[in-house]
Amino acid sequence: MDDDELIAAVAGGDDVALRELFSRHAPWLATRLRAVLPAADVEDVLQETFLAVWRGAAGYRRDGAGGWLWGIARRQAALWLRRRGHSELVLDALLAAGGRPPAGTISADPAETALSRSELAAAVAALGPAGSPQRETWRLMYLEDRTVAEVAALMGVPAGTVKSRAYQVRRLMRAVLRRHEPLPERGGR
Amino acid sequence: MNVEISDLTRKFGRTRAVAGVSMQTGAGVFGLLGPNGAGKTSLLRMMATVIPPSSGRIRLLGRDPDDYRERRQIRRRLGYLPQNLGYYPGFTVVEFVEYFALLKEMPAAEVHRAVATAVERVGLGDQARAKLRTLSGGMLRRVGIAQAIVNEPELLLLDEPTAGLDPEQRVALRAVLREVGQRATVIVSTHLVEDVGAACGRVALMDRGKIVFHGTPDELTARATGTSAAGDAPLERGYSAVLAEARS
Amino acid sequence: MTGDREHRVQIEHGPPDVDLGRVWIGVGAQVWRRHPRAPERLAGWLLRSPGLARALVTTPSLLLGWVLATTVVLLAGVLATRETGTPYVALLAPAIAAAGIAYAYGPGVDPAWELSGSMAVSDRMVLLVRASAVFGLNAALGLAAGGASGAATAVTFGWLIPMTAVCGLALAVATLAQSANAGVAAGVAGWAITVLCGQATTGRFTAAVTDSVLVLPYLAFAGCCAAIVLYATRIQRGTR
Repeated sequence: MDDDELIAAVAGGDDVALRELFSRHAPWLATRLRAVLPAADVEDVLQETFLAVWRGAAGYRRDGAGGWLWGIARRQAALWLRRRGHSELVLDALLAAGGRPPAGTISADPAETALSRSELAAAVAALGPAGSPQRETWRLMYLEDRTVAEVAALMGVPAGTVKSRAYQVRRLMRAVLRRHEPLPERGGR
Repeated sequence: MNVEISDLTRKFGRTRAVAGVSMQTGAGVFGLLGPNGAGKTSLLRMMATVIPPSSGRIRLLGRDPDDYRERRQIRRRLGYLPQNLGYYPGFTVVEFVEYFALLKEMPAAEVHRAVATAVERVGLGDQARAKLRTLSGGMLRRVGIAQAIVNEPELLLLDEPTAGLDPEQRVALRAVLREVGQRATVIVSTHLVEDVGAACGRVALMDRGKIVFHGTPDELTARATGTSAAGDAPLERGYSAVLAEARS
Repeated sequence: MTGDREHRVQIEHGPPDVDLGRVWIGVGAQVWRRHPRAPERLAGWLLRSPGLARALVTTPSLLLGWVLATTVVLLAGVLATRETGTPYVALLAPAIAAAGIAYAYGPGVDPAWELSGSMAVSDRMVLLVRASAVFGLNAALGLAAGGASGAATAVTFGWLIPMTAVCGLALAVATLAQSANAGVAAGVAGWAITVLCGQATTGRFTAAVTDSVLVLPYLAFAGCCAAIVLYATRIQRGTR
C-alpha cells in the first residue's frame, strides 16, 4: 500500500495501517525533530504527532504524505515548546546543529525555509542580538507558531507593529539565504 | 528468594501427584522438566495459588499463600500461563489481556500502556484488535503469554509455553523469558528438552512426583557420560540417564 | 562520504537516542484503549474495583440478548396470565432466574477458569457480584411482570422466596458439576417438581408459591446450597 492508501485506511480506523505508517515515517520525522529538540521531547512530540494523525487522517487531502506528516509534527513541536516555554533552548540547539537536516518541502516563506536549512545560524544572527525585537518576534511566531494577536499581547505592542517586524524578519532572512547556494531539492519523504 | 518450598505434597484422592518436593529459587529462568504425569503441572498450580498443598511448606515472594491477604498480594505480582488456557472467542487480543490485567488489580492508569507493551513484546502488534476466534493456535498461546507478563510479574509460571509455536517464535519467547528473568523468577515447565537448554540457568527434573535432579543444564548433560542413555542431543541423553537411574 | 552514509542510516532507524519502540507503545496504548461505558464505570466506582466491574458486565446472563429473551418470556407470561388467570409469571420467574444464575459463573461458563483461579480479584467475589446482579435483575423484571399481569399481591411477591431456593440449587449444581447446563437442568427440574407436588397435594398450581408453610424450608434449602457453593469454591479445584 502506498502512503495515500495507508492514510485513507487510518481514517477508516485501521490501526495496522497506522503501525505501518509509523514504521515508515517515524524514523525520519524523529531525525528532523532531533535537530531541534532534546531526545526525550522528541519521543513525546512524535507520540503526539501520530495520535494527531490517528485522529485527523480524514483531513488528508492527498497532497503529499511527507509534507502533511511534517506539518503535523511541526505543529505538535510548536505546541510542546509553548507549553514548556523552552524555545530559547531550541534556538541554541538550532544554532549548534552542525549537520544538514534532510531537505523537506521548500516553502515560499523564507523564514520557514530557513528553519530547515543549515544557514539558520547566519540567518538568525542577521536578525540582531538575542532579545532584540526582530529576534523575539521570530522566536514567538516561527518557533512557537503563535498568531499575530498572541505575539502582540506577549510583547505588549500593537498588532500592526508585530506585522511590520515579521516583514522585516522575512526580509533580513531572505537576504542572508540568497547569499548562499540553494540546496538541491530532494523532495519530501 | 522468591520461591521457598519444603517437603511439598499434593494428593488427588489416593494419587500422590507431588510427593515431597523441596526447592528454593531467586531471580532467573528455571526449567522444570519431566515426562507427562511427573507432577510438574500440579507443582506449578500450587505455586500459582490455584490449589493448596496437601502438606508441606510453601512461601512465595516472601509471603504465605494460605493467608487471604497475603495470597492477594502474591497474585498481584504473579503471572501464570496454564497448560490449557481457554479463550473468550468474542474478545480481541487487547480486551483479553486487559481483562486479566484488571483482575490482577493493576492500577487503572497503568493498564493501557502495560497491555500495549505486553502485546508488542509477544509480537502481536498487528493483531491487537483481532478477535481471538480468528487467531491460530500459536498466536493464542502468545496471547496467553501476554496476559502472564502484562503486570511485570515477580514470579512468572509457564506451563508448556512453546506449544504450537514455530521455531522462530520460540527463539523470540526465550528472549522475553531471559529479559523477565533478570529481575523475576521464571519457572518454565516443559517436556521439550531443547527449550530448557537454550533459556534456563537452572533445571529440575521431576519424575513420579519427586525431583530427581537439580542443577545447571551442563550438569544434566554431564550425567550422561559413561552411560548408554538414549537421545539425539547431549541434554536429552543426560535427561534419559537421570530418569533411568531414578527408576532403577 | 561518511557524513551522508551516517545520515542515511539515521533516517532508516531514527536518531540513536530516540526509542521509537517506546514511542509506538505510547501511541498503541491510546489507539487500542478500551473506553468502558457508563454502567461499567458506575459498577467500578460502587464496587471499588475496575476488575470486578469488568467481570460483572461480561456476565453471560447479563448480556443484552439474554436480558431481552428473559423479558420476552415474562411478557408472554403476563399475556397468558391476563388471558387465563393462572399466574404464569410467578411460575416462570424462578425457573428463568435459575437459568440465569447457572450461566453467571463457574467452570461451565468460563473457558479460562483455571487462570481465573490465580487472580487477585477472587473468584468468590466475582461469583457474589454476578449472582447478586442476575438475581436482582430477574427479581426486578419478575416483579414488574407480576404487577403488569394483575395477579394478587401475595402471588406477585410470593415467588421471590422460592426463587432464592431454586437459584441456590442451580448454582450449587453448576459449581459442583462444573457445568452451567447441569445447573440449569437441576434448577428448572427442581422447580417443576416442587410446583407439581404442590398441585398434587393441594389442587392449586400456585401452592408452591403462596403457601406460607414453605417459606422456612425454602430459605433453609437456599442456605444449604449457599454453603455448598462456598465450600466448593474455597481454593481447591480440579480433580486431576
